Amino acid sequence: MQYVECFRALARHRTNEIVVASAGNSCQAWWAATHDIDASFYLDASMSLSTMFASGLALAQPGLKFWAFMGDGAFVMNPGMLMVERQMNLQNLTHFVVSNRAYGGTSNADLPNRGDIDYAALARSMGLERIFEFSTIEALERDFPALKASNAPGHTFVVLEVEPFSEQDQQQLESPPFDGPELKFRFGRHLESLTGADIFGYRI
Amino acid sequence: MSAKSTTTAARIADQLASCGVRLVASLPDNWVMDVIKTIDQDDRFVHVAVNREESAIGLCSGAYMGAMGSAALMGASGLMTIIYAVTKINYTYEIPLFLMATLRGQAGDHHKHHVSNGLYLLPVLNAINMPYQIIDKPEEIDLISRSYRHTRTYARPMTVLFTRDLLRRAH
Repeated sequence: MQYVECFRALARHRTNEIVVASAGNSCQAWWAATHDIDASFYLDASMSLSTMFASGLALAQPGLKFWAFMGDGAFVMNPGMLMVERQMNLQNLTHFVVSNRAYGGTSNADLPNRGDIDYAALARSMGLERIFEFSTIEALERDFPALKASNAPGHTFVVLEVEPFSEQDQQQLESPPFDGPELKFRFGRHLESLTGADIFGYRI
Repeated sequence: MSAKSTTTAARIADQLASCGVRLVASLPDNWVMDVIKTIDQDDRFVHVAVNREESAIGLCSGAYMGAMGSAALMGASGLMTIIYAVTKINYTYEIPLFLMATLRGQAGDHHKHHVSNGLYLLPVLNAINMPYQIIDKPEEIDLISRSYRHTRTYARPMTVLFTRDLLRRAH
């Protein structure tokens, strides 16, 4: 399925989930799909760490639900993260591997062994149980609502098989236009307003 | 676990708790095994054993953004592997991070594979402008809470470095 169309479909099914997007193309795609400036953290240039970042958030705020995107280029840099996620087994966290079989952030450079990697099987081998795969918009539209509505216990792992960004996408899709501290404060103040938590130690 | 190391580990745990640390993410180093065991058995903490030091950086940074106090505990070699993660996440977004690591490769550490840490760890921290506090004596353990608070003011990482004399014994 087409990368940005996949993200637009997810955005249609999103209700109150807090999102962490990662290095590679997922920040651009989520920004294009939502232009969300408060409830999404664009953790650009964070190779393989977006789901760990989201795990810390999900542990700290069990009353909120979190979606974390990670490209497969980042995923293969640290697949051992799944062992940690399995150990933490956070019910309020969904880990999306966005599998474009390329390093999308670096001109779609080839991912080694890209044709043979089975991310769902890898997750099963790490002990994860709630594993889902989507390769078409139709399947995503049809089955994602049930997945999302389920209150089944445990961490959820979703593989999204997408096409790499086209040349046109690469040229036209902008990165979220924020510097780091602005994102930190926008996102943090939003979580403070949702939860009453005190993140920064002072209020404006 | 010797009586000395048990006492030291308990005092480190008390310092962390006094700062409001709830999450401790760790990877082992022989010198901090007693600290890790103490924290793991202490209900004041959620201990997450990670399998790569950078994962501890991601976890603790996310916990901060969720208003949970946290600390990452690792060996000197692990600290050398996290430069990308802390510069990209904690410096770019100005997210506080409290690190604890061993000061390997100094006089008294007889492991040859830590010579490189003795040569390069402190110069690397200086190169990225990461403040550090060496804790060498039991009476200096209270500096943990001051260092932790500094990360919140500085809005970037700081590390405390535990010596062998603190964690084990003079050698």
